[in-house]
Amino acid sequence: MSILEVKDIKKKFENTEVLKGISFSMEEGQVVSIIGSSGSGKTTLLRCLNFIETPDEGIISVRGKELFNAANLSSDKHVREEDIRQNRLHFGMVFQHFNLFPQYTALENVALAPTLLKVKTEDEAKKEARELLDKMGLSDRMGNYPHQLSGGQQQRVAIARALAMHPDILCFDEPTSALDPELTGEVLKVIRSLAESHTTMIIVTHEMNFARDVSDTIIFMDQGVITEQGDAKELIDHPKMERTRQFLSAIAK
Amino acid sequence: MFVTVTLSLLEGFLSTLKLFALTLVFAIPLGLIICFGSMSKAKIIRLPVQLFIWIIRGTPLMLQLIVIYYGPGLLLGESPWVGLSGRFLAALVAFVINYACYFSEIYRGGLQSIPVGQYEAGQVLGLTKKDIFFKIILLQVVKRIVPPMSNEIITLVKDTSLARIISVYEIIWNGSSFIKSDGIIWPLLYTGAFFLLFSGLLTMLFHYLEKKLDYFK
Repeated sequence: MSILEVKDIKKKFENTEVLKGISFSMEEGQVVSIIGSSGSGKTTLLRCLNFIETPDEGIISVRGKELFNAANLSSDKHVREEDIRQNRLHFGMVFQHFNLFPQYTALENVALAPTLLKVKTEDEAKKEARELLDKMGLSDRMGNYPHQLSGGQQQRVAIARALAMHPDILCFDEPTSALDPELTGEVLKVIRSLAESHTTMIIVTHEMNFARDVSDTIIFMDQGVITEQGDAKELIDHPKMERTRQFLSAIAK
Repeated sequence: MFVTVTLSLLEGFLSTLKLFALTLVFAIPLGLIICFGSMSKAKIIRLPVQLFIWIIRGTPLMLQLIVIYYGPGLLLGESPWVGLSGRFLAALVAFVINYACYFSEIYRGGLQSIPVGQYEAGQVLGLTKKDIFFKIILLQVVKRIVPPMSNEIITLVKDTSLARIISVYEIIWNGSSFIKSDGIIWPLLYTGAFFLLFSGLLTMLFHYLEKKLDYFK
């Protein structure tokens, strides 16, 4: 059974159709990278999966369970909000701009959600947060506030924060795009090690070499549709579609 | 004479402080309610609230004091504000409404200055709306509104003197009463010392608060 199945997702903002029917599926432990030029709908797709945006049409299923089906969008807003909140727990999200909570230390940022949602006691949550930050190479930064950390460190805290909720699928929205070039390496290294330990991930990225190395599958999106998808190395090295070829050669320049 | 004047001014200042403190106690939470009203998605709530804020901020507080003190009597034929405590209550109501409207606008500015990414980060972690507001947003808003709030609150200290227009015996009233009774004006000037001292204390308190919240950016 696929861990994630997305069927015919459509999303419109005002009069612009950003997603025009996106379908794909992925298996547990797989890494899928989504590439494509800006405005192709990559970020909107991730935001739909995390239920920050509500798709106008389509179905999202996790482990065979239908989480979302636009056809039976209930009109009872209150019930829906709690459902949406529950659905979000299946997905983790790492944002381009980290979005750490400034008033909490690195450790508190990571332990906050498990503590508030009573998944764990505060002590257990802090203990796991320490282990996660340790894995991110931030053992000596746990007591620091976000403004005292570099962009790369902040992004690694954000990854630990997402992992602390043990999502089925971890999503990255251009995790290195807001970083200075010399800081992207440390973040990519962490994501790479997550891939090696078979964390299920969807990564929206502009780092083609990284996507080629780390992912099982690459999805190329253009103007709200999936133009091409397939084995990561195959797609990057021998793209079949003309549009994919154009994009890849433009990026290589 | 100096002792008599000081005692009289102290008594008036107590009244001033009472008006000041009670105004804050009621206006700070009421401002939050008005703020949510002015940001409501429902036009039927938002528009009347915005109209109300416009009226309160667009007219002098002194006029509002007069309307609230004399208005009910003119409309109902009988004033609900009886005696000294009635006049104090009328002043309090006017101050609370006026300051709640100003506070609500400060809150609104503070709330709207929080990046939407903070809400989204809370949402994707599966936090409830309540937790997102109280555990993530609120302190960031508080940090941002301390400077404008301290401005408004120091203005309130001095605005309390407007209550004398409806014969609330606050410090300026007591100070100026010596002009009539003893023909001396220095007690009125002396009231300034009380205001300076108190607003100085408040300034220090707000500096302390700002420092306290300086640990994050």
